[in-house]
Amino acid sequence: MKLLSSMRSQRALLNCAPISARQSADRSMRSAISRGDGSAEFTNQQNFDRAVARLVRLIPIPAESAEWFSEKDLVPTSRLTWKKMVRNPAVVAISIAVAVIAGVFVFNFLGHLNDFPGSATARKLLGVAASTRPVMLDPVNAEAGTLSDLFFMKHGLEHYDVPEEFADFVTIGCRVFEDDESRRIAQIWVSEKRMQFFLFPAERDSKTGAALRFPGWRYVHQEGWTGAVTEHNGVCFMAAMRGHDKDLEPYLKPADK
Amino acid sequence: MLGDSRKAQEVFHATLREAAQRAARGELPSEPFWLFRDARWRCLEATKSDLQPESLEIDEHDVAAEAPSQIGRLDPMQLAIWISAAPDPQRSALALFYLDEFDYREVLDLAELKLSELSRFLGNGRRQLQAWLDAKFPQRSEV
Repeated sequence: MKLLSSMRSQRALLNCAPISARQSADRSMRSAISRGDGSAEFTNQQNFDRAVARLVRLIPIPAESAEWFSEKDLVPTSRLTWKKMVRNPAVVAISIAVAVIAGVFVFNFLGHLNDFPGSATARKLLGVAASTRPVMLDPVNAEAGTLSDLFFMKHGLEHYDVPEEFADFVTIGCRVFEDDESRRIAQIWVSEKRMQFFLFPAERDSKTGAALRFPGWRYVHQEGWTGAVTEHNGVCFMAAMRGHDKDLEPYLKPADK
Repeated sequence: MLGDSRKAQEVFHATLREAAQRAARGELPSEPFWLFRDARWRCLEATKSDLQPESLEIDEHDVAAEAPSQIGRLDPMQLAIWISAAPDPQRSALALFYLDEFDYREVLDLAELKLSELSRFLGNGRRQLQAWLDAKFPQRSEV
């Protein structure tokens, strides 16, 4: 039954075999031709078709109709104008994508324009400042400048000095903790405008191990908090408070700004 | 398709004019062979009011070895008229296969036929033309 159906299908294909060998034929047609090739019936059919095709080519084309094909531009092609190009959905989509990529690039560039060694750590610590509650710190009532000795004596932290601009501020509490990179951070809470100070190791050169220095005060911002950071003796100090640069500016030495 | 050069020209010009206008408006269909499909329907429309060829029992002879020489003696217009006299869709199948030399898949698509139908139309067409050739040029030696 299957064989009969296959033979019928082959016969149907052979009846439709291309007139010219130049015409493309799919796999099933090629297979049918290769099976039928050589048979007198198929040879007669091919010769018959070719003779008809030769005759067809002799059919005269009226001059009026032939004129259509003598012109270079049978169908006027619409010019691709800028207006049309801009309205093309593909162009619109690509333009939007490029604009978004450019926007992200510019945002990142501006965001990192004021970066300095240790700015990433400083931003993380601003997040810590935002989430810290006074009960988390050991109560200490002293001048901030005096805590350097405490950090050295109790925790072995050298050069964890509060700059003189903030040395006189009265503290509420302090603590020393390790961040996610096991760096030891000193945190001080002062009564002045609920300001917090952070002392942390300066970023170091990966090859030489030397502290990466930067001059004066640098600002960082994170979630409504602003920090003013300076580096001294391989240790960074950051004064952090909720607000803007102008809120911290009065506390910094004008010459170092 | 029409067997009438005047009508064929009218359909030809109407088809191309419409295509040119659609191109100018940027509305050309993306599907392949739309121009041939359009031309075919215009041809069928043009002959709608004419007397339609009927599916009659026509003599059929097996394709003969001497068919090419018989065909060579035909006038091209006679062949065109013979094809146009076939009832549609056989007429479309013969025209697309012989006049335009489309391959069988293209003819199936254009004339909306099944392979078995196209095969039957072409096979019958050949045998009918052979019978007509035999009648017109009786040089074939009967076995």
